[in-house]
Amino acid sequence: MSAPAATRAGQPPGLRPRREAFRRLGGYLLRNRGRYAVGTALVLGYAAGFVAIPLLVGRSIAALEQGLPAREVTRRALALALVAAATAAVRFLSRTSIFNSAREIEYELRNDLFAHLQRLPQSFFGRWRTGDLMSRAVNDLNSVRLLLGPGLLAVIQNPPLFLGVVAAMFAIDARLAALVLLPYPLFVLIARTFGRRMHPANVAVQEGLADLSSQLQEVVSGVAVVKAYAMEEVTRRRFEAASDELYRRQLRLVGVSAGMPAIASLLPALSMWIVFLVGGRALVGGRLELADFFTFSMYVYQLTFPTFIMGWVFALWQRGGAAMQRIDQVLAVEPSIADRAGLASVERLRGEIEFRDLTFRHAPDREPALRGVSLHVPAGSVLGIVGPVGSGKTTLASLIPRLLEVEDGHVFLDGTDVNRIPLRVLRSHIAMVPQDSFLFSMTLAENVAYGLPGTDLARVREAAERAQLAKDVEELPQGYDTVVGERGVMLSGGQRQRTALARALALRPSILILDDVLSSVDAETEAAIQRELEQVFRDRTVVLIAHRVSTVRRADRIVVLDAGRVVERGTHEELVAAGGLYARLAREQALEEELEELEAAGGVG
Amino acid sequence: MSAPPGPSAALAALHEEEALGKAYDARLVARLWPYVAPYRWQVAATLLLVAPLFLLELAPAWIVKTGIERVMAPSASPGGGSWLDAVLDAPDRVSPLLWLAGLYLVVMVVQTALDFWRTLLMAQTGQAAMRDLRADVFAHIQRLHLGFFDRYPVGRLVTRATNDVESVSEMFSAGVVAFVTDFAKMLGFAVALFLVDAKLALVTFCVVPFLAVAAVVFRLKVREAFRMVRVRIARINAYLQESITGMKVVQLFTRERRNLREFESLNAEHRDAWYQSIRYDAALFATVEFAQNLTVALVIWWATGIAAAGVIYVFIDWMRRFFLPLRDLSAKYSVMQSSMASCERIFQLMDTQSAIRDPGPARLHAAPPARRGAVAFENVWFSYSDDLQEAVLRDVSFRVEPGERAALVGATGAGKTTVIKLLTRLYEVSRGRILLDGVDLRELPQAELRRRVAMVLQDVFLFGGTVEDNLVLGRTDLSDAEIERAARAVEAHRFIERLPQGYATEIRERGANLSAGQRQLLSFARALLHGADVLVLDEATSSVDTETEAAIQRGIHTLMGGKTALVIAHRLSTIQDVDTIHVLHHGRLRESGSHAELLARGEIYSRLYRLQFESQPGVRAAAG
Repeated sequence: MSAPAATRAGQPPGLRPRREAFRRLGGYLLRNRGRYAVGTALVLGYAAGFVAIPLLVGRSIAALEQGLPAREVTRRALALALVAAATAAVRFLSRTSIFNSAREIEYELRNDLFAHLQRLPQSFFGRWRTGDLMSRAVNDLNSVRLLLGPGLLAVIQNPPLFLGVVAAMFAIDARLAALVLLPYPLFVLIARTFGRRMHPANVAVQEGLADLSSQLQEVVSGVAVVKAYAMEEVTRRRFEAASDELYRRQLRLVGVSAGMPAIASLLPALSMWIVFLVGGRALVGGRLELADFFTFSMYVYQLTFPTFIMGWVFALWQRGGAAMQRIDQVLAVEPSIADRAGLASVERLRGEIEFRDLTFRHAPDREPALRGVSLHVPAGSVLGIVGPVGSGKTTLASLIPRLLEVEDGHVFLDGTDVNRIPLRVLRSHIAMVPQDSFLFSMTLAENVAYGLPGTDLARVREAAERAQLAKDVEELPQGYDTVVGERGVMLSGGQRQRTALARALALRPSILILDDVLSSVDAETEAAIQRELEQVFRDRTVVLIAHRVSTVRRADRIVVLDAGRVVERGTHEELVAAGGLYARLAREQALEEELEELEAAGGVG
Repeated sequence: MSAPPGPSAALAALHEEEALGKAYDARLVARLWPYVAPYRWQVAATLLLVAPLFLLELAPAWIVKTGIERVMAPSASPGGGSWLDAVLDAPDRVSPLLWLAGLYLVVMVVQTALDFWRTLLMAQTGQAAMRDLRADVFAHIQRLHLGFFDRYPVGRLVTRATNDVESVSEMFSAGVVAFVTDFAKMLGFAVALFLVDAKLALVTFCVVPFLAVAAVVFRLKVREAFRMVRVRIARINAYLQESITGMKVVQLFTRERRNLREFESLNAEHRDAWYQSIRYDAALFATVEFAQNLTVALVIWWATGIAAAGVIYVFIDWMRRFFLPLRDLSAKYSVMQSSMASCERIFQLMDTQSAIRDPGPARLHAAPPARRGAVAFENVWFSYSDDLQEAVLRDVSFRVEPGERAALVGATGAGKTTVIKLLTRLYEVSRGRILLDGVDLRELPQAELRRRVAMVLQDVFLFGGTVEDNLVLGRTDLSDAEIERAARAVEAHRFIERLPQGYATEIRERGANLSAGQRQLLSFARALLHGADVLVLDEATSSVDTETEAAIQRGIHTLMGGKTALVIAHRLSTIQDVDTIHVLHHGRLRESGSHAELLARGEIYSRLYRLQFESQPGVRAAAG
C-alpha cells in the first residue's frame, strides 16, 4: 500500500517526460478554459479587423482613384478610422485577456507549489536546497508564464491572421496571392536551421556563466587561502580566461539569435518584391486595380510582425517546456507524511509514548540511525535522552510528531500507531522545540502565538513568563510588538531559544519535546526554566534531549544513546553508579564546570 | 567564530533587491563610461550606422512611389531629373518596373545585412565592456577583507558578477542605444514626411500630440505599476524563502492552512499589480496600432484631389515606421530599469572598500627588517563586531622567538583560531598590535607578510585543477623535482603517485576524491614549497586512521624544522614536546610554560589535559 521507499523519503524523482509536464499544465488551462475562450473570441475579432483594414484602405484608395465625390472618400476614410478604433479596442481586450489568464495560472501554480511544499516531509527539505526550490518557484514559473502569455497568444492569434489574410488575398487575385505566399514556407527551413544552432549556443553560454560562478564561489569560499598564499594574480588570470571564453560564446549566440530574425525579415521583403514586380505588371496590363496593389502591400507589411515573432515563440516554448518540467518535478513528489486511510478516531492525546523495536534509516542506502530501540514513556513523565553527537537523539524525538516517516508498528502514542493518528490531532498535542530556534520575521507576540489560532496576548504573556522571556521583552523598546528576525531586532542566541520555548509552551501540549534547546541559556536561567517546567508539566509528558547531564538529572528516566542503540537506561543516580558512558559524560562535564568556575573566580595565573 | 551568513542574510538580500532602480541615472551611466571608452570607436560606428540604415528604410517606399508614378498610374509631370531620379531611371532596354523591383530587392538585402552587422557590432562592444567590468568586479571581490565575506553571502556575490553584469549589458542592445536611435529615427521620419508634403504631414501629425500625452501618462503609470510589481514579488520571495527554511516549525505548529491563506493573498496582490501593468502595456500597444491606421485614414481623407497615390503610399509606409518604436516602449523601459538597478548594485559592491589595505608610503616600513621570524602579540584585543564587549581575544600578549615552537591551547571558542587570522592579517586587531621581527603588521605590505608567514588551516581548501596546481598555487618558478621533493618530505608523494594521473590528477569538487588525511598532507606540501619564516598551523580535528595520523605528525615535524612555529592544538597529546604552551581561556591568555610546568601548576592546562584523557576517541568533546 505504501510507495517504494525511495520516493517515500522525498528523493528527487528525476524529471518526468515533457508530455507529463504539459499534461499538468493542461489541467490549469482547462480550469481556465472560460478565460481562454473569451480571449480566443477576442483574438478572432482582432483577426477580422486585421484582415478588414487593408481592404478598407483599398476601398478608400479606389474611391480616390476613380474620382468619386469627396463625400464618398470621406465616408470610406471614416469607415476605416472606425474599424481601426474597434480593432484597437479588441486588440486591447484580447491582449489583456490572454496575458491576465497567464498571470492567473501563474498565481494558481505558485499557490499550489507553496501548498505542496508545506505538505512535504523534512527529508525532502534535507535533499533539496532552498535556492533550488526558490529558483523553480520564481525563474521557472516566469518562463512558464511567458509560454502561457505571449507564447500562447501567438499560437492562438497567428493561424487566424494568416488564414484570413491568405483568404482575402486569394479573393482579390488568386495568382498574385499564390506568388506572394511563395517565400513563407521557407520559414520552416529557417526556423529548423537556426533552432538547431540556437540550443547548443544557449547551453554553451549557460555553461560559461556556470563556470564563472563556480570559480567565484570557489575563490570566495577559499578566500583565506587565496590571500594567505597571495594567489590573487593567478585566480584573476584564470577568471579572465573563463570570462573571455564566455565573451566568445556570447558573440556566437548573438550571431545565431540575431541572424534568425534578420533572415526571417527577408521573407516579407521577398513577398513585397513579388507584389511590386508581378502586381505592378498586372496593374499595367489592367488586370489589377491600384487599390488592390495597396491592399496587397499592406497585407504583406502586416504579416511581418507575426512572422518575426514566430521565431521568438519557438524559443519560448522550448524554455517554458523545460521550466514546467522542473516545476512538475517538485509537484510530482508524493507527500509521504499525510493522513491516510484507516485513521484511528483519536481526538485527544494523554501523552504516553512507546517505541517498539524501532530501527530507522534516513535513506535505504544509509546506515541505520536507530537500531532496535524499545522504550516506554508513561503519560506525565519526563524522559531524558543523552548521548554523543550523531547518536540518534534528534532522530528519535522527531519520530514522535512524525517529522520523519516511520513504518507501521514501531511508534505508538496512547497505544495507537502514530501513522494512524490524524496529523492535525497529533501535532496540536505535541510541541517540539527544535535545536535551531527558527523565528519568523514577525512580532515577538506573533512568534510566541505561532501555533495558536489568534494572538491571545494573555496566553503569550504567560508562556513568555514561563520561558523566562518576559523580563527580556520588557527591555525591548516595542515590547511584544518588536519585530524579530530578519528585518527586526536581532535577539541573542539565548533569547531566541527562550522565544522558541515560549512558542511551544503557549500551545499547552500533552507532549513537550525539547531538543537541546537550553544550550545558549546560562546555568541560572536554565535552572529557573526547569523549575517552571516542572510546575507546568507535572501531568504532561516531557522529552528532554540534552548535551549536558545537568539538564536531565531530574528526569524520571534517562536513556543513553550511542550509535543509534540504547546503551544505558535508568535514573541519574543509577547511571552514575553504573560507571558507563553516562558516568563518563558526567565526569567530563563536572571538569568543565570547574573550568568555568575558575573563570568566574577570575585572577588565576 | 562569527555566525555564518544564514537564511537571515539571504532574506535581507531579497529585501535589498526591493529597492527600485530608476530607468535612467546619469551618474551610473557616467561610471560605466570608463568600461565603454576603450570601445568608443565601435560605439561611434554603431551610432553612425543609424544614418545609412535610416536612408535604407526610407528607400523602399520611395521606390514603390516612383513605380506608381511612372509605371502604374503615370501622372502628367514626371520628376525633375535630380540625381535620385537618375538612379531610379532604368537603363535602356530594361523595363522600368524590373529595374525598380531590382533596386527594391537590393535595398532590402543591404538593409538587412547592415542591420545584422550593426547588431553584432553592438553586442561585441557591450560584451567586451562587460567582460572588463566582470574582471574588475572579480578582482575587487578578491581584494576585500575576510570579515566582509562573513556578512555577504556568496550567492549574492555570484549574482553581482554574473546576472547583474548580464543585465547591464542589455543596456547596449535594448537600452540607452535603442532609445537614442529610436528617437533619431522618429525625428528623421518626421522631417522626411514634411519634405515630401508639408501640408499633408501637418495634418497627419495632428495625432502625435495625443500620442505624446498618452506616452507620458503611460510612462508615469507604468513606473508605478512596475514598482508595485517589484515590491510585491520581493514580498512573495521573502515569504517563500522564510517558509522553506522554517518549514519544520510551520509543520510542527500546524500553520499550513493559515500560511497558505497568507501566501495566497501576497500572491494575489502580485497578480493584481500585474493586471495593472498589463492594462497599460496593452493600452499603449493598441493606441499605437490605432494611430498607425488613423493616420492612413487621415492621409486619404485629406489627400482627396491633392496628393497622388504615390505620395499616399509613402505616407502610409513612413508613418507606420514612425510609430513603431513606441509600441514596445514598456519592454524597453523595464529592461532599462532592471539594468540600472543591476548597475547600482554592482557599483555599490565596488564602492565597498577593503578594511585591510597596504600601508601608504608614509607608514610603510622603510627597510625590510632582518628576516628572523620573531612574533610578538602586544595587548591584542579582537572582536568580530565593533563591540569590545564581545571580544574574542582580550588583552593577549605573548612572544614567539625565532626558531621557537609554541602551541596555543584552550577549550573550543577560547579564541585560538582567531590568533591565526590576526597573525596573517586576514582580520585586523581591534586594539593592541602584532609585530613580526619588530615591525607592526600594519606597516608591512600584505604580500610581504604572507610570503613570510605560512598558514596551514585545518579546513584544507583545494581548488579545481590538478594536484600539482594545488601545490604550486600559481607560482611558475618551481620545478617538478622541487615539487616532488616537498611532497616526499611530508609523505604526500606516496599517495599522490597512486592517484590515477599522479600529480596531474584533477581534483574534484574541493577534493571530494581525497581523504581528510590526504588533504592535510597536501596542505603541508603546499606550505613547505612556499617556504616561510613563520609557520602557523591549525591542527586538524577530523579523525583519520592511525597510519595517516602518524604520517601527519611526522609531516608537522618536517614542516616546523628550524622555523618559528605556532601550533593551534586541539589535541593535547600532540604538542607535549613543543617549547612553550600558551593557554587561552575565554579570550584571555591564562597560562604559559612547558608541558611539565603547566601540569605541575594544576590549573587550567592540567584540567584540560585530564578532560581529554577522560574522553575516549568516540567523544572528542573538548568543551560543552
